[in-house]
Amino acid sequence: MAAHTENHGKSFLKSLIVNNKDIPAMPFIILGLILCAVGGFAVISVFVKGHHEAYGVTRQVPWGLLISSYAYFVIISTGIAFIGGLGHAFGYEKYAKISKRIVVLATIVLLAGFTQILMEIGNPLRMVYMMISPNFKAPIFWMGMFYGIELVILAFELYLIFKPNQTEADHKLAAVAGFLALLVGVLATSNLGYVFGSLNAREWYHGIYFSTFLVVSGVTAGAALLILVHTIVYKGSLPAELKPSMVSLGKLMGGGIGVMMFLYLWKMLSSIFTEPGDAYMSVMSLINGPLSFNFWIGEMLLAVILPLALIVTAKGSIKKLSMAGFIFLIGLFFTRFDFVVAGQLPPMRKGLAGSGVITDVAGFAFYSPSMLEWLVYMFGFGVFFLLYFSAEKFLNLETESHH
Amino acid sequence: MATKKFGIVLDAKKCLNCKACTVACKFENTIHPGEDDYRIWVTELELKGTYPNISQEYQPSQCQHCENTPCASVCPTKATYKSPEGVVLIDYDKCILCKACMTACPYDARYENVHLHAIDKCTFCYQRQPEGREPACVETCPTRVRVFGDLNDPESEASKLLARNHTYQLKPERNTRPRLHYIK
Ligand code: SF4
Ligand code: SF4
Ligand code: SF4
Repeated sequence: MAAHTENHGKSFLKSLIVNNKDIPAMPFIILGLILCAVGGFAVISVFVKGHHEAYGVTRQVPWGLLISSYAYFVIISTGIAFIGGLGHAFGYEKYAKISKRIVVLATIVLLAGFTQILMEIGNPLRMVYMMISPNFKAPIFWMGMFYGIELVILAFELYLIFKPNQTEADHKLAAVAGFLALLVGVLATSNLGYVFGSLNAREWYHGIYFSTFLVVSGVTAGAALLILVHTIVYKGSLPAELKPSMVSLGKLMGGGIGVMMFLYLWKMLSSIFTEPGDAYMSVMSLINGPLSFNFWIGEMLLAVILPLALIVTAKGSIKKLSMAGFIFLIGLFFTRFDFVVAGQLPPMRKGLAGSGVITDVAGFAFYSPSMLEWLVYMFGFGVFFLLYFSAEKFLNLETESHH
Repeated sequence: MATKKFGIVLDAKKCLNCKACTVACKFENTIHPGEDDYRIWVTELELKGTYPNISQEYQPSQCQHCENTPCASVCPTKATYKSPEGVVLIDYDKCILCKACMTACPYDARYENVHLHAIDKCTFCYQRQPEGREPACVETCPTRVRVFGDLNDPESEASKLLARNHTYQLKPERNTRPRLHYIK
């Protein structure tokens, strides 16, 4: 009996492995390997040197690039899971058609995010104390819970989508799992806004704004990455039945950017009127301070204006939509970086002699990421490229019709 | 008997900016060199008045041992906790170095102690409690800027100072209810 199950298990695994010659996965797998090698070197250096030496974060700005890159990845993942939930649970056919890719992509992007937080936290092994003596009041405790549960749900979804001989019951289970992934994903991402919003000292993060903004920009980014990945996989010429899915994702992305613009407008304006508070300083650091290049070129031009212009003029052109997705995903890096850093640039004490605090003439604290921080970020991309394009190459990610 | 409530009453006007307190703190608590590594500091406040009538004040400070404790509420492992006397302490073995407490603290009182591999800050020299000794910064100050004591004991010198003087706390708008009281 045992031997039988073992054989069965083996043949099940074997049946999964394919070799997709048509998909241009190899260059991305190689890119992933290179980034993993360089990033792996950085990871070792960080352990040898110690976080304190290796990273550019300071007493004034304790959270830097790796918190941004963590947010970058995990929020894209929950955004993808959101879109998957629309397809699986709410019967949105255009997204159900790509549900296999959605689940695989969401899982791998989440794992890429986990590499970042594991490298950011100084003592990841001590995270057992989050179980032994948990602080239920701490948003970081819930962050661990929600993202952990999200990974479990995605793993279950992976099992379901690759299971041979799917039954009606499996489809029902998949719908439930899809809905849970959407729900827990939204909770996880909005709670990430609360991780920042709960910081008494940092006015920039207070309120509902970031919880909302992160969820909206995450779904937008999820749509962007899905369009981009499909364009790569099909080398620009998508099968006719997938085109409507892409066009719909393009609309979702456009709508998402529209809501982001709306949120930006009121957050910026209302913060300007908090002068002379810290939220005012934060907004000034973006508009006219140390983060202004990031803000105007990265956040505004790359993550809002250019992709929106491309989407509006796309008229069904998948090429334009994927270009919009690509530019958006670059711009989004600046969006995340600015979000994390702007809130910490107003120092908690004035930079006077003896205070220990160093500020520039405008009174802002300093932060610029170290080389090793950049390389650890690259490691996250390496993990993503390697795992995802290996999945494309060796697994069948085409979603068979349910009916 | 009511529980103890430790606090410090400071008369910053007496401060000479000699930095004896910061040095004593570094010795008592083995604080290693490093730009960000300090538990207490003495800020030279902006000059007041116009020449030739100028005055300079100093502001010695440290962790405020807040009664509403933003650093402890965000700590996921309860590494940051309060002693029975309300002293905010860190259980170094539980600290995962997520630095949420650093970003939550409105006084920039925390830093990463590389040698302990954990977050660190002023503990009111809690290790001295069994001997009944005062914190090093209190003991060492030539002009007795800081008076340390049990604010629940009306007979303590700190309580008496608090009762007799108008005092203020730093950043009251953050609603942290600091245990450091400055005499006006
Ligand atoms: S020891 Fe006293 S006088 Fe000297 S700097 Fe510290 S508080 Fe001021
Ligand atoms: S001053 Fe900062 S570190 Fe000290 S108790 Fe208050 S919030 Fe915590
Ligand atoms: S860095 Fe340590 S003490 Fe601070 S919140 Fe995290 S676990 Fe708690």
